Amino acid sequence: MSNALWLAVLASALGTYLIRVLPLLWMRRRLRRFGDDDMDAMPQWLGILGPLMIAALLGVSLVPRHPDATAWLATAIGVAITLLVWYRKRSLGWPVAAGVAAYGMVVILAGMR
Amino acid sequence: MTTRTHPLRTTPWLTGMREAIPLLGGYVPVAISFGLIAIQAGFTTWEATLISVLIYAGASQFLFIGMAAAGAPLWLVVAMTLLINVRHLVYAPNLAPWLTASRHWPWLMHGLTDQVFALAHSRLPQLPEHQRLSWYTGAAMLAWASWIAGTALGAIAGDWLMAQWPLLGEVMPFALPALFLVLVMPRFTSRRWSLALCLTIATAMACTLAGLTNLGIPLAALCGALCFYLVKFDSRHTGGAHE
Repeated sequence: MSNALWLAVLASALGTYLIRVLPLLWMRRRLRRFGDDDMDAMPQWLGILGPLMIAALLGVSLVPRHPDATAWLATAIGVAITLLVWYRKRSLGWPVAAGVAAYGMVVILAGMR
Repeated sequence: MTTRTHPLRTTPWLTGMREAIPLLGGYVPVAISFGLIAIQAGFTTWEATLISVLIYAGASQFLFIGMAAAGAPLWLVVAMTLLINVRHLVYAPNLAPWLTASRHWPWLMHGLTDQVFALAHSRLPQLPEHQRLSWYTGAAMLAWASWIAGTALGAIAGDWLMAQWPLLGEVMPFALPALFLVLVMPRFTSRRWSLALCLTIATAMACTLAGLTNLGIPLAALCGALCFYLVKFDSRHTGGAHE
C-alpha cells in the first residue's frame, strides 16, 4: 500500500473518530451548562432521532442479502419467534438466539426440498 | 431520566461482553467478507486488518477498498467514507446523559458503531452510574475485537470458510435484525411513537430494496422524526408522553 493510501486510511480513521467523539464533547458541555439532571440539555429533535436511528437500522437489516421467497419467509418467521420469546422473557439474549435458530431452520428446511 | 436502574450481580464488563455476543452474529460474517474482498482487491492481510482496527466502520470500509482499488482520487475516497459515517453524529449525544465524568469516555467513542450505540442506548440507562463505564468497555471491546479478528480470518482463510460453511454466513447475520427488534420493541410506548417507528422501519426497508442502504438509515430516521412532529394523537390516549 502506498504512502498516499496510508494517509487516506489515517484521514478516514481520524475523521470517523471525530464524527463519533466531537458530538459527545459538545453534549457534555451543554449538560454542564444545564446541570446534570436537566433533560432540557438534550435538544428534543436529537432525543427523538436516537430511537428512530435504531428503528432505521432494524429496517435496513431486515432486508435479506438475497431477497428471494425463502429468505423473506425465514425473516418473517425469525421476527415472529424473536417477538414471541421477547414477549415471554423480556431479555436480550434468548430472543435473539431463538430468532436466529428459527431463521436457520427455515433456510435449512427450504434447502432440503 | 426516570428509568429505574438494575445493578448487575456479575462483573459489569463481563456482562457487557455477554450482552454484546448477539452482535458477533452480524459482525463476524461481514468482517470475514471484508477481509476476503480486501485481499481480492490487492491489499495484504496486515493492511486489511489495520483498516479494520483504525477505521472500524463496516459499510464505509467496503467503499474505501472498492474505490481505492478502482483508482478513484484519494480525497474522494476519504470524503465518501466520511459521508457514509456522518449518521454517527447523533449517537454520542444520545448517550451523553448516561455517561459518567470519566476521561476514558471520549477514547471509547472509537467503538461507537451503529450496533454498539443501539445496545448502549437501551442498556446504559438501566445500569447504576458506577457500572456503566465497565459495561460499555466490555461490550465495545468485544465488538471491536470480533471485527478485527473476523477481518484477519477472512483475509487468511475467507475462501475456504465460505466454501466450508456457506449456510453460516447466510444465517448468522439474522442476529442483527433480531437484536435491533428486541432493542426497538420497548420504544412502542404510545400511538405517536409506534407510528413514527413503523414508518421509519418501512422507509429503511424500502431504501434498502432500492439499493440505498447507507442513505436509508438517516433518511428513514428523518421521515420518522417528521411523522413524530406532524402527527399528534389526542393526549388523553397517548398520555402525552415522548418516551
